[in-house]
Amino acid sequence: MIEAQIESNPRKWRGIFVILLLILAFTFLLSLTLGSVKIPISEVFSSFWNNSKNEIWERIILDFRIPKAITAILAGSALAISGLQMQTLFRNPLAGPFILGISSGAGLGVAIVIFLGIWIGGFVGLSEIGRSWLLVSASAVGSFLVLGVVLSASFRVRSSVSLLIIGLMFGSAVSAIVSIMQYFSRAENIQAYVIWSFGSLGSLSWQELFIMIPILSVSLFGSFLLSKPLNLTLLGEDYAESSGLNLQRTRTLIIINTSLLAGTVTAFCGPIAFIGLAVPHIGRMLFNTSNHLLLTPIVILLGAILLLSFDIIAQLPGSDATLPINAITSLFGAPFVIWLILRRTNINYRF
Amino acid sequence: MRVFYFCFSMRGLIIILIAIAGCQVKNEEAYSSKSSLSYASTFELASDGPDTRLINTEPWPKATVTKEFTFSKPLKRVVCTSTSHLPYFEMLESEDVIVGFPNANFISSANFINRIENGSIKDLGNGQSLNMELLIGLKPDAVIGFDAGGESNSLDKIEKLGIPVIYNSDYLEQTPLGRAEYIKFFGALLGKEERADSIFRAIVSNYQELSKMTENLETKPTILSGTTYGDTWYLPGGQNWAAQFFNDAGGDYLWKDSAPSGSLELSFEAVYEKGVDADYWIGVGTYKTLEELKGQDDRYANFSPFKKQQVFSYNKKIGPNGGMDFFESAYSRPDIVLSDLIKVLHPSLLPNYETVYYQRLP
Repeated sequence: MIEAQIESNPRKWRGIFVILLLILAFTFLLSLTLGSVKIPISEVFSSFWNNSKNEIWERIILDFRIPKAITAILAGSALAISGLQMQTLFRNPLAGPFILGISSGAGLGVAIVIFLGIWIGGFVGLSEIGRSWLLVSASAVGSFLVLGVVLSASFRVRSSVSLLIIGLMFGSAVSAIVSIMQYFSRAENIQAYVIWSFGSLGSLSWQELFIMIPILSVSLFGSFLLSKPLNLTLLGEDYAESSGLNLQRTRTLIIINTSLLAGTVTAFCGPIAFIGLAVPHIGRMLFNTSNHLLLTPIVILLGAILLLSFDIIAQLPGSDATLPINAITSLFGAPFVIWLILRRTNINYRF
Repeated sequence: MRVFYFCFSMRGLIIILIAIAGCQVKNEEAYSSKSSLSYASTFELASDGPDTRLINTEPWPKATVTKEFTFSKPLKRVVCTSTSHLPYFEMLESEDVIVGFPNANFISSANFINRIENGSIKDLGNGQSLNMELLIGLKPDAVIGFDAGGESNSLDKIEKLGIPVIYNSDYLEQTPLGRAEYIKFFGALLGKEERADSIFRAIVSNYQELSKMTENLETKPTILSGTTYGDTWYLPGGQNWAAQFFNDAGGDYLWKDSAPSGSLELSFEAVYEKGVDADYWIGVGTYKTLEELKGQDDRYANFSPFKKQQVFSYNKKIGPNGGMDFFESAYSRPDIVLSDLIKVLHPSLLPNYETVYYQRLP
């Protein structure tokens, strides 16, 4: 069994997790201290206890940097783990929320809510909480539908390339529907959607975080429970079923879980590219394991660390300007995926 | 790819929504002998015997070539491409010269919407490019086009069809009066030079009179502007059209010393640090109420102008199709925009004036 890996060397793994946690804590603190506005480190810390001398700095730390860092951690880990589960579920190293059209599905949900909502009257007028829930449900339903359809297609087509093409087709068809909806909307109504589609980690307030945190925590916890079934599916469907796994139910649970993860993040932060696709591979390659009991926490930590670091870069510390987060994730993600494809032999692990 | 597509449409939207035209400076001496223009720097007029030459010195941002159009008699059938062209036809009473317009649903003027509805102006289709077949059918004397990116594929195509293209880069003008001087551009094309001159003179004298009122004010309230899109806060650069208005209206725009003539792209926290105690917040995109603004991001409510309800936007005049008329007609009437802003910042100077474009967010 794969799980033997853990027993064989529990010490080493414990060390790895401690190091990853330390790196995460360090990046978290770094992202609080770096930003457009120069704030001395001592002031950053005194902001925590509400006794900073400069009230504006204190608000910047408490209302901007902390929520943004938490968002980056949650979004990074959620996207990464949903990517990992999709790759295993589809047995396809190129699966991920973006490629398989899940982000597009979430986008469609958001677009329908925004455009129809404005049409019915009053989406923009909705209070923040009502609006957040509406957005989350719409984009989770959207991503659930797309993922469901792609998965049912995956039962018919075995080839990963065909599946990939189906996912891409879905993605572009869904984007086309969104463009048509934009076409028939008034310019000012498109604004809400376009802002969303830009991708953003910094626009979440505490109120929205209080919705995102519980949903993602439940799904992240669910991911740990799904690790064992995922390990079994790696060994082949026949083997999995003979060892008592209800394959159909597992698949459904994984779909629900991944669409909740990717859908929620996409609803709040907009489509964020590459984390979902690239981080699981980084995890597998760095630590040379395909055991989901280990990969799940590794990928969660790596996703959080990477998105936090990308966000620090996007802030261009010391300058007033910022770069869009998607520009940075893609800038670093694209070369990686290319490298991945060029070294294809390495990524066939055990699909 | 989606992301890039959205970035692209975002660019267009930002231009439309925040009225920050990406202006670039071009300090080129005007043809002194031929030009009677005092503020505009992107076009020149010259007469050559019976012919009039309209020279566009900067047809698109940072252009290295000029575009020229020579004509001997006034245009009778014209296709326009930007809503900012339309008010000039109204001011010169030549609405009937326009025979076609693309993206007609962006028009705010009731007059032109009627003309579209009764068929005297043909809608040339939505999207980035004109419907060429409809365009040929219209047999216009010329198309007045603009090219924001220097990649005028569709304008080139029109020229290949034998329809002259007149470049209009009004959006590159950096000053309120320079932009309004474009009335002379249309006056020349329509054979109504004198009328255009006299309208422009009146606008200039209004404008100068108004800005004199604020010249010696002792207190100049500080001004914050713009909103975030994604993680970036877009606001007019210090050399921008809007920044100049703030200054002439007796305001102290907090970013007046910044270099760009286009827009500034800052992070929320940078704007927060500088602008949290501003007196006024002017220009907030499409948000109609403080509630909406707070709904988009509740940190907006921490700004002092928000708390004191001193948030203003240019959404008072809305066209029948829901578009903000500000983006259509404000450029041609800088005197009205300035009056509005003075009324906002220093109401006691214009006690009986009622604003046209700006209003307080409820």
